[in-house]
Amino acid sequence: MVALRKTPVSTGSAGASHLIEKVARQDREAFSQLYDRCSPLVFTLAMRMLRERSDAEDLLQEVFVQVWRQAANYNEERGSPEAWIINIARSRAIDKLRSTRRRDQSFVLTDDPSGAESSENVESSVADSEAKMTMNSALANLPETQRRVLELAYFDDLTQTEIAERLSEPLGTVKTRMRAGIQRLRDMLTSQAV
Amino acid sequence: MATEHESWRAQGEIYALGALDGQELKDFETHLASGCQICEAYLRETREALMLLHRAMPQLEPSPAVKAKIFDRIERENVVPLPVKPRSTGRRWQMLTGTIAAGVIGAVIAGVFYSKRYEPRHTVYTAVVNLLRDPATRDYPLYGTGPTPTARGRFLWNESGEGHIFVSNLPRAPEGKMYAVWTIAQAAAPLYVGTIATDAAGQGGLHINSTRSEKPMETFAVTLEPVGTTAAPTGPMVLVSKGPAA
Repeated sequence: MVALRKTPVSTGSAGASHLIEKVARQDREAFSQLYDRCSPLVFTLAMRMLRERSDAEDLLQEVFVQVWRQAANYNEERGSPEAWIINIARSRAIDKLRSTRRRDQSFVLTDDPSGAESSENVESSVADSEAKMTMNSALANLPETQRRVLELAYFDDLTQTEIAERLSEPLGTVKTRMRAGIQRLRDMLTSQAV
Repeated sequence: MATEHESWRAQGEIYALGALDGQELKDFETHLASGCQICEAYLRETREALMLLHRAMPQLEPSPAVKAKIFDRIERENVVPLPVKPRSTGRRWQMLTGTIAAGVIGAVIAGVFYSKRYEPRHTVYTAVVNLLRDPATRDYPLYGTGPTPTARGRFLWNESGEGHIFVSNLPRAPEGKMYAVWTIAQAAAPLYVGTIATDAAGQGGLHINSTRSEKPMETFAVTLEPVGTTAAPTGPMVLVSKGPAA
């Protein structure tokens, strides 16, 4: 059973930046605090993308070992510590997804809508485990068409062309929906910051 | 300026999402590699916004055992001073050492300066000097290619598996990207040996402590990769060797 907890939406990046600086100096206590602060965020993303607890925990390990090794490379001018860590996590999760897809001969992206549904059903049955999550509030505020393309890109690592094929929609339509969805998210972020 | 950037911003949003592909992806990465600050900033903001996709989800707690495993790993990987390894000897060692030392001494000084941000200065300095003293060390010039044709570098490589790379005129990696360093042995897949960061002047250095291969290394390369990519190169090559210096 996966434990749930509510976390504040506020990033609190200033504190995390301070912790990263200390981690770069091999401060284990700071690393422990950074882990406590960011591990639920990374683990939630990993579960959503990889769907298996063991895979998600392996990824969590890899991500934080990399954070320990490369904390000196973090540049505050280029984004929050959380964004840096999440970027590492997402890149590694994408590597795993692609590796799994290469190995799994049965995983075939199709432009046949019925085939696509079938494929999604297989994924859904896997996701029926503890990895299946409640729709978050940010996504819930998006129109279904925008939400769908963002999810397929962000969590399932599909490109714009692959999404257009999967949904049998023109590429231009997919791009428009993606941009509209991102703009809404940007607006939400701005309103939170005010 | 803002109007000029409308099309880049449109591509940048989809790039931040990880969904840009084809020629648009190549064009945008080339644009980013040119050092566009407007697009860098926009990408940064967009990535923060995209985090809302999972930040507001009910957060899942990993098992406490995971944290213990991570601390166990970092304890076992604790940084230790580089040992001074016994070196092989050869008839031409004096000539080779002199040639290499004369050719790279300037790069050593610069590389050590930039490397000190990431590694203890004296450790890197000692390691590089030891490399230069060793007749088995070879000097591989690196040439810019792909989006960074004017970049240059040198790769000092020792058959023991130790090496040091210096780069210059290589712009900082775009947001979400890193420069991955690879060694490639005969008929073998590229092996990731580290990540190199560059400063505002485009310079950087990285020491490689131990990368052993049963086959001799043939090629050394640097590619631009999404952060975290270590399994195999996927992005454009930015620097590559063409054989040891004569």
